[in-house]
Amino acid sequence: MILDLHSHSIVSDDGRAKVENYCQWIRRKQVPIDGFVLTEHRLYDDDSDYSPLEDEFGLLILKASEVETEYGHVLVFGVNHELRAAFDFGKIGLEISTVVKESERCGAIAVPCHPGRPKVGMCAHIEVRGEVEGVRVVETLNGGSRGNENELAAALAGRNGYACIGGSDSHIVSHIGRCATRLPDGIRDMDGLVAALRAGDCEAVALEDGRWTSTS
Amino acid sequence: MDINELKSEWVDKPFDTVSFQIDAHEMVEFAEACGETLPQYTDPDHQDFQAVPSYTSRFHGRRALPEGFPVEMEQSFDGGKCVEWKAPIRAGDTITGQSHLHDVYEKTGRSGGMVFIVHRMEFTNQRDELVSVVDWKMIKKLG
Repeated sequence: MILDLHSHSIVSDDGRAKVENYCQWIRRKQVPIDGFVLTEHRLYDDDSDYSPLEDEFGLLILKASEVETEYGHVLVFGVNHELRAAFDFGKIGLEISTVVKESERCGAIAVPCHPGRPKVGMCAHIEVRGEVEGVRVVETLNGGSRGNENELAAALAGRNGYACIGGSDSHIVSHIGRCATRLPDGIRDMDGLVAALRAGDCEAVALEDGRWTSTS
Repeated sequence: MDINELKSEWVDKPFDTVSFQIDAHEMVEFAEACGETLPQYTDPDHQDFQAVPSYTSRFHGRRALPEGFPVEMEQSFDGGKCVEWKAPIRAGDTITGQSHLHDVYEKTGRSGGMVFIVHRMEFTNQRDELVSVVDWKMIKKLG
């Protein structure tokens, strides 16, 4: 199955897309994804219930977070109460070691995103601060990347043996599904997604001529 | 700068109140400047004549920030306004705008760290009905 693992709704301060509009766009434009994950900036959206939209549009809609560390931005899948008590999601400059370790301890997984991006990607910080222990998955395809940012990310993953995911990083409806992640069929909830990511059973894919193509 | 301290000390505390008389001619001028063509916004004789939904974006208070607010904004830039329509504004209304800081938060992007300061103006009419909420973001780069 194909999921866009990185998207933002109006719950994020810079998001301009309503989740219902993402769903309408996916169906109207026949975007070939089975669902998407809302990775809101610096928070976990406890309030929104997207299950009616899941039923109406036949899409899997999951919730996660994008937090900010001294090594750049990190997606956190599998957020729960225990993890939210472990560190302040709203802070910038979190220690990535804390985010990675606490995510593991709480049954979640931390995935550095757009690592090739200046200032907010892991690659530049590794040069200064060194490698990060405990990372096993990174985002190598990000729909908002410029220049060679995705290539830098892929090179990082290759050097370190990281598994790879893709996500559109969409903030407006027309960007959903710009790139995505191929996962095992049958994922129905966040637990299933976290299990697949922890197992490295994921692949970053881009849409070329109507087909999802692996870039790794 | 401790953002949590800034928030607890300054957010949600009104610091400015101003009133405006709503004039039909100015409503039409604004609507036409926006490219609006619907008669309810451009024709004062229309039975449902009212201001365009973004009309309150034209109004400013007397202060952008509360007196004594500890962040220097000389090198900040305008992050734009978000207008939420609540109820029609009619010609002849007296609109009162009250300002408070709605949020202060940090984020990082390609260009580095930034502080966002959200100035909210809540507009009510002469019947105390909330007609519009405008969030104005001011952005200050860090470092």
